[in-house]
Amino acid sequence: MPLTWRFLDTIEALVAALWPARWRGATGWAFLMPALLLVGVLVIGLGYMLEYSLHELNLATYRLRDEYALTNYATFLNRPVYGTVLWRTVLGSVLVTGITLLLAFPYAYVLVRTRVPWVRKALLVTLFLPFFIGQVVRAYGWLIVLGREGLVNSLLTGLGLPAQDLLFHFPAVIFGLVQYMLPFAILLIVPAITAIPEDMERASESLGAPWPATFRHVVLPMAWPGLIGAGVVVFTLTMTDFAMPEILGGGTTDFFASAIYDSFFQISNPGLGAALSMVLVTLGSLIVAAVFALAGPGTLGIRGART
Amino acid sequence: MTIHATLSTGRRRFLQWGAAGAGAMALPGLARAQDKPSEIIVRAWGGAWGESLKAGVADPFTAATGIDVRLDFTEDNEIKPKLWAAVDQGRIPPIHVNWDTTTNATISALRGVTVDLSDLPNLEGLLPLAKPTGLDGYPLVNTYAYVYVCAYRPEAFPDGPPQSWTVMLDPKFKGRVALYDDGIGFNPIAVIAGGGTFDDVPDNMEPGYAFYRKLKENQPLLGEDADFTTWFQNGEIDLACTISVNARAARQSGIAVEWTVPAEGCKVDTDGLWVPKGLPENEEYWAKQFVNFALSEQAQAKWCSLLGLPPVYPGLAPPEDLVGDPSYPTTPEDFARLVSVPSPVLVENQPIWFARFSEIFQG
Repeated sequence: MPLTWRFLDTIEALVAALWPARWRGATGWAFLMPALLLVGVLVIGLGYMLEYSLHELNLATYRLRDEYALTNYATFLNRPVYGTVLWRTVLGSVLVTGITLLLAFPYAYVLVRTRVPWVRKALLVTLFLPFFIGQVVRAYGWLIVLGREGLVNSLLTGLGLPAQDLLFHFPAVIFGLVQYMLPFAILLIVPAITAIPEDMERASESLGAPWPATFRHVVLPMAWPGLIGAGVVVFTLTMTDFAMPEILGGGTTDFFASAIYDSFFQISNPGLGAALSMVLVTLGSLIVAAVFALAGPGTLGIRGART
Repeated sequence: MTIHATLSTGRRRFLQWGAAGAGAMALPGLARAQDKPSEIIVRAWGGAWGESLKAGVADPFTAATGIDVRLDFTEDNEIKPKLWAAVDQGRIPPIHVNWDTTTNATISALRGVTVDLSDLPNLEGLLPLAKPTGLDGYPLVNTYAYVYVCAYRPEAFPDGPPQSWTVMLDPKFKGRVALYDDGIGFNPIAVIAGGGTFDDVPDNMEPGYAFYRKLKENQPLLGEDADFTTWFQNGEIDLACTISVNARAARQSGIAVEWTVPAEGCKVDTDGLWVPKGLPENEEYWAKQFVNFALSEQAQAKWCSLLGLPPVYPGLAPPEDLVGDPSYPTTPEDFARLVSVPSPVLVENQPIWFARFSEIFQG
């Protein structure tokens, strides 16, 4: 018997010993187990957060009191600043998601459909390059480019125009976040466009539909799962972002993650930080659930789901 | 004198000091001292702060004991919960010595996670400033004072340094003024600049909040130590309330920055060192030796001179460039011109002040 056969027989026997045939029905669950464990750890962490959030801080000892109370949630409701920051976060997330999808879709479309190899390569390099540069470094890069004495203002003043305040306000934060989220969105939209057979577009055009009509009635509906997926990812990442608002916002346009950070670290109140975290997680989950309810999970290509 | 000779002298002096210290700390300490750890990890601030600690304390300590000192630049507010969790869970803390603000260190002391330092021999003879207020014994030890000065770009003030903090409200400086993002270092000053007095702190902070509300219209930037240097360097700001060390470091690296103490005064505060509970016995011993060494004349002279801050070791001369500088208080009269809020008051009120500060600037 050839050596390779004996080797394969040994492997097969080993697998049969480790995973008997009667367990085969559970094979799918075994593959799911790492993911379930990961989610389980997250759920346990969330449980701890919920527990912390129900205890008030004792300022005499800087420990959470043993008694259960809703004080931290009352603090969230009674202090308008949290509502303001939360509204800014949601508004920013909606804007970033919308702008990012608008920019990402044509990029992904050209990347998939182009017949020119160097264009595809250039688009791929441009897409992946930002992944090698961390968010904080990118934000500091924008400080250099958009600063008072940065590249853009140097160009403006060189042309005899007045220097502009391009940093430390809400639009600067949105700009930085869009630039950060764009590659994520493109990566999620590309498979959706790849899955659309080019023949479908040709068929539409051969039936007399101009390209805009083809785009509206063929490409866009078929790319919908990718757009929804990208939208959900960009929205949730933006909702929880900390670095861009912190660095490009100049300290006065914080997002909700900064309020959570401040509670945990600046004022050493883990109960309040946990309560604010629960608020953010709950709100984010509700919004995503609403998106799925409106768009239907079938838009993500989930088999058997109602669309 | 050669470098070698200098080090040898330093080592001899350290051994003399160490012998006296070990004697005072009882015999079990001597036994523990035989078991040296390979390194001591000290949390520190970066930039000029970390460099001064390395040159003034860490390197001489290593030269004298053979124990390497590794500086951990985890942010002070972020190391705090890690240390608390480690002590509560019975784990070994991630650092041996925490270089901390006195306010944060006091909070950790209140939580009961700090080792008592009362038996350190070098505590004797230090200025009263070294003793933490409102706490029994020495759960931490203050190592120097520092002042939140009014740092400014001379180009923006051709008529001389700003005379009052109210210059922050001048529309001319819209978007070009900076404060710490938690209001630290400025809250009591805001009360005075807003028409109140120091006696209003902490019961009536409204004048300060009114000042902040006016200041908000001038769109100030809020940041941390490193941000101020970057903003001055990039020409983003003309004026900031920052610790004199940052302004001095910026000037030393060629950035056009000066500083002053305006009519309302400046807040003076202290930093300190503390050792977390839960370290192995020998490591705790050497961590305490590190703190003790940091309080020695040799270490205080070099460390604080590099920082440009008045040490708690008495009688040390200020650096040449800071002689007569109001941000370098040495006498009770100097301190009287500054605004000092006791640590217990800060600990109790900082969360309340921070909440109001956030409401005004984020709202």
